[in-house]
Amino acid sequence: MTTAWLQDLNALAGGLFLLALFGLVATRQVQGCLRFFVALSALLAASAFLLSAIYGEWDLAVVGVVDIVTKVLLIPRLQRRVLHDEVFARREVTQVLNVPTALLGALGLAVAAYLLSQPLLRFIGGGTVASNLPVGIAGLLIGGLTAAVRREAVPLFLGLLAMENAAFFAGIGIAPRMPLLADVAIAFDVLILVFVVGVLTRAVQERTGTTEVGELTLLREEGAR
Amino acid sequence: MSTLVLVPAIPLATVLLSRLPLGRRFPSAVTLVAAGTDLALAVRLALRVVAAHEVVAIRDWVALDGFGATLLLLITFVATMAALFSGGYVATHEREPRRVRSYFMQFNLFIFALVLVPVLAEPALVWIAVEFTAVFSVLLVGFDRSQAALEAAWKYIALMFMGAAIALLGFFLLFWAQDLVGSGAPYSWSGLRAAAPAMPPTLTTAAFLLVLVGFGVKVGLVPMHTWLPDAHSQAPSPVCALLSGVKTTTALYVILRLGSLLPLAAMRAWMPAVGLLSVGVAAFLLLQVRDYKRLFAYSTVEHMGIMVTATGLGVTAGAHGAMLQMITHSLTKSFCFFAAGAALLAAGTREIAAVQGLIRTSPAAGAALLLGALAIGGAPPFAVFLSEFSIFRAGLVERQYVVTGLLVTFVTVAFFGILMHVNRMVFGRPVTPVGHVERRLPVTCLVTLVLAAIPVVALGVYEPSWVDALVRLAAADLLPGASP
Amino acid sequence: MSDRILFNAIQFLTVLVFAPLASGVLSRLKEIVQSKRGPSIWQPYRDLWKLFHKDEVVSDHASWIFRFTPYLVFVTPLFVALLIPVLTDYPLFFAFMGDMLGGGFVLALGGFFATLAAVDTANPYGPVGASRTRMVGFLAEPVFMIVFFTVSFVAGSTIPYIVQQRWGTPRANFVAPSHVLLMLAFLMLVLAEGGRIPVDNPTGHFELAMIDESKSLEYSGPGMALVKWGGHMKLFVLLCIFLNVLVTPWGLAHEQTLQAVLLAIPLVLLKIFGLLLVLVGIESSLSKLRLFRIAEFLGAAFVTSVAAMISRLFSF
Repeated sequence: MTTAWLQDLNALAGGLFLLALFGLVATRQVQGCLRFFVALSALLAASAFLLSAIYGEWDLAVVGVVDIVTKVLLIPRLQRRVLHDEVFARREVTQVLNVPTALLGALGLAVAAYLLSQPLLRFIGGGTVASNLPVGIAGLLIGGLTAAVRREAVPLFLGLLAMENAAFFAGIGIAPRMPLLADVAIAFDVLILVFVVGVLTRAVQERTGTTEVGELTLLREEGAR
Repeated sequence: MSTLVLVPAIPLATVLLSRLPLGRRFPSAVTLVAAGTDLALAVRLALRVVAAHEVVAIRDWVALDGFGATLLLLITFVATMAALFSGGYVATHEREPRRVRSYFMQFNLFIFALVLVPVLAEPALVWIAVEFTAVFSVLLVGFDRSQAALEAAWKYIALMFMGAAIALLGFFLLFWAQDLVGSGAPYSWSGLRAAAPAMPPTLTTAAFLLVLVGFGVKVGLVPMHTWLPDAHSQAPSPVCALLSGVKTTTALYVILRLGSLLPLAAMRAWMPAVGLLSVGVAAFLLLQVRDYKRLFAYSTVEHMGIMVTATGLGVTAGAHGAMLQMITHSLTKSFCFFAAGAALLAAGTREIAAVQGLIRTSPAAGAALLLGALAIGGAPPFAVFLSEFSIFRAGLVERQYVVTGLLVTFVTVAFFGILMHVNRMVFGRPVTPVGHVERRLPVTCLVTLVLAAIPVVALGVYEPSWVDALVRLAAADLLPGASP
Repeated sequence: MSDRILFNAIQFLTVLVFAPLASGVLSRLKEIVQSKRGPSIWQPYRDLWKLFHKDEVVSDHASWIFRFTPYLVFVTPLFVALLIPVLTDYPLFFAFMGDMLGGGFVLALGGFFATLAAVDTANPYGPVGASRTRMVGFLAEPVFMIVFFTVSFVAGSTIPYIVQQRWGTPRANFVAPSHVLLMLAFLMLVLAEGGRIPVDNPTGHFELAMIDESKSLEYSGPGMALVKWGGHMKLFVLLCIFLNVLVTPWGLAHEQTLQAVLLAIPLVLLKIFGLLLVLVGIESSLSKLRLFRIAEFLGAAFVTSVAAMISRLFSF
């Protein structure tokens, strides 16, 4: 496979990553969100493998493997174990933004991300892969949108994890020679985070009977005391 | 050399030790011993740094310079005080030994994460350490398990992680910029400072802005501060002292490190504006709080803004003032939260309106609260007054009249706000809230209040020479230019 | 030049003759997937023959629109068939008569009259289906526009034959993100315009749930035959556009000889058969969407097409 093929495949992974981000914003069901997140992580791993072949940096292949192990395999299992099963059967009945509006918002953010990345792309030299950076920035923005418009705990958190995935996606494209220890440690940090947030969500559900964390509005200055 | 590795290793080991069911007092005792040991090690390391300018354990991965040593000293001191306070505080609030053990395990994990930040020299690892400080404190914030506490914890972790993801991209951009320079300098704080003048300014500014927004969430800069009053008021008071006193400071540490890589003009453009926004908004928001822990939380936002503004002046005097402010703020704010904790134990409520005449019902709590309020507001002869004054002076010398004028106005508004609220609580006719049982303050809490008050008062009148040397060394790290 | 007219006629006849076969194969495959035997693949021809030999009943309340529409619905897909590459990859005689936008308008003309005719009689289910078809139509418009713009931006032309020549370099087809995403968006568009699951159930008999089918409720005899045939041809034409322009030019005649063109017929039918397998897979695994969720489905298609456009505009 020539480098041109690999670069095209990597660009495709980027395009599908963008698509999975749109899916994450729009899906109503918690299960659907989880599946889109797993797709995001799988595409991140695929891009890592492709980039390791393009750049010749085998560290990135290790990053891809670690990513598959933590995010594709372990995180869904960890979430299922820590949270009650009924959390996963939920869907959002009412939403802050309806689905078409959320999709349009995500689209606007994607265009904004591509425009924002233009000044940075001037520094892309001959050998650096350019398609990862705009998709990564788009992912940061769209993940932020997801976290802002979702009311249920699990999709909100998955939006945050998607932001981190996106930052990583951009990072492996522009900084392939990052020390391996850092990349691996970041992956494990996310694992711990998922565990802790799972415990917290469980506590919220046991206390209030619902995981609609968007509805928790006790703490305000005007005071509901 | 291995002292540096020992510093984070001790709290980590204590996590396991405090799990052992060896009696009710064992977890708090072992935590106190560990924190005290760390403090002693930190002092030793600080003295070594003053002498040799840096301490290195693993070149480019685990090393300590002036700025790091100052931060480490602050963290370990506040941690020791918080451990001492926790002993009595947790014993009063929690009955189950399992909850007590769980508290101290999480406490030690939090300390471990905090201590890791200055000790590591590789920026990506520092990102991970700052992430750890957030992750390991979430369950502490929600420790009460009340609905308000859980809501605060949820908002806290959601915003923290969002900020972390944004900052991660900034770190990747920084690595890329250094890669482009191609000088072979290692990806560590010192390596970045060496390569900084050659890096393309667009990339460094983009990276700095991303980290400013991302870690600005963690510091509590406006407009990303919304989680701060909630989290810093719902957490148990010793944890609040750690959160407000040192955790926001560690995030600010990273921002200031990155600020030193910017070209001077960019720093002078961005930082004062961002800082003044925080100071202004916090000062005005402070006026209408109903909960005295939220009052101190807003004060933290204000002080973070002051530090950012001071560094943004772009001169050595400003950086020196910022460094001094960092030290005095950590010490004073943690004392304020200890006082708030004592007041909570005495009065049983967090509401300002419900507490009156505290100086009569619980003299220790009342006096401490009054002292804390005066100190954090910037009244002489306390430490914060000296640091704020040196910042104002630096601003006037630099002819930054607008910046200094605004700063003085906002600080005065905040001072007025804090004193107004605390006065209402401390003086007046004593009021006992319904259903509250009068309790004496635990001994450990009293001892902590006294011990923590000492540096607050002492640094206002006397600065030991080694402290001064350390501050000068640290301030040099805040500005662009070659490392000393 | 007479060659080209001849090839155009062959193309025209192919669409006319083989469209019902495609529909027949599709229904048979769907039934097989559901473990039934299913009707014969030639059944649509028998249905058409039967209908042409029946009497026509027209309502008193109907106007000239009702009588005129079946002819229009029959003829418009054939017009579009003249404009698109069905058998050859070089432009034929009528190729420059209209571009993709023109083809889209012609198809929309047929749809417009069908909607009017559905409202024309006094049948209450007609307007219900007509309004739903309009809703699907206007939601699908932006998708079509974006696809059209992206494709013509890349190819530098809006004539389908030219687009097909410049769009399909083999490697880019299967891998470049703009191509893959555009194919995905257009497939969703085909499902919407062709009235397939998940937008509409083509085999449903429940009038309250019908979208496309309700337009032909009132017709009988030859009118019904023309409307049905027109429907088969519309689907066939959409599939041809999708396959021949967007996916791959495999199977299309490259040389300008009669043998090549005649050889292209079975090859193109084979390609369509492959796509029918994909369609059957989609139809059997998804369920029909609730009416207002169609907006989300088409919103997703829109977003996919804009993502394709973005990745092309900012491509490296």
